[in-house]
Amino acid sequence: MSKRFCVSLTFAKNDTDKATVAFVVANAAVASDKETMVFLSVEGVRLSQRGYADDIHEQGFAPLAELMGNFVKAGGKVFVCSPCFKKRGLDEGKLIDGATVVGGAKLVEFLSEGSPCVSY
Amino acid sequence: MTPLDPAPGRAAELSAHAEWDAGHTGCGELVLLLRNKLLELSPGQRLLVIAHDPGAPEDIPAWCRLTGHRLLEARPPHYLIERRSTP
Repeated sequence: MSKRFCVSLTFAKNDTDKATVAFVVANAAVASDKETMVFLSVEGVRLSQRGYADDIHEQGFAPLAELMGNFVKAGGKVFVCSPCFKKRGLDEGKLIDGATVVGGAKLVEFLSEGSPCVSY
Repeated sequence: MTPLDPAPGRAAELSAHAEWDAGHTGCGELVLLLRNKLLELSPGQRLLVIAHDPGAPEDIPAWCRLTGHRLLEARPPHYLIERRSTP
């Protein structure tokens, strides 16, 4: 059984339902002792900015900022697609805790060493 | 020690050192909170969980198999879990 788990997320405020569920699943993985990484790309990279998720709260779920905070506190990592980040003019100085801007090689390395991945 | 309405002859196994009512919390939120609650206990101690989420009867046993915590009893919405010996 793989010790790793990846959740790929390409949405932010353009689909708050998907963004929320992605982090709920990531929390299930990190709680199950998996080395867990959320890969943010396309619009999803906006979630890497401090404060961005503060007003996202889907009915029936915990607020997204709380889900993300709990994920990182439990040891989860957030990788942020570098070209997607740059395209949107986002700020490295505003990265949330646990987030790292990475290129595709980092994702390929993580998955190639043996990791399932679920995409939202 | 909190009893879990034990079946006859099972009283010793069905006592808990702590109890946690998870309410309707489910999915990743449930197991992340459950992880934290169990790790607050000492190895071998037991937590009685009350979980009403419809996914819990499948999720809690799966999570125990993944993490090595021991599911001693599952009678939804009650679950008695023994904390594993490793951190």
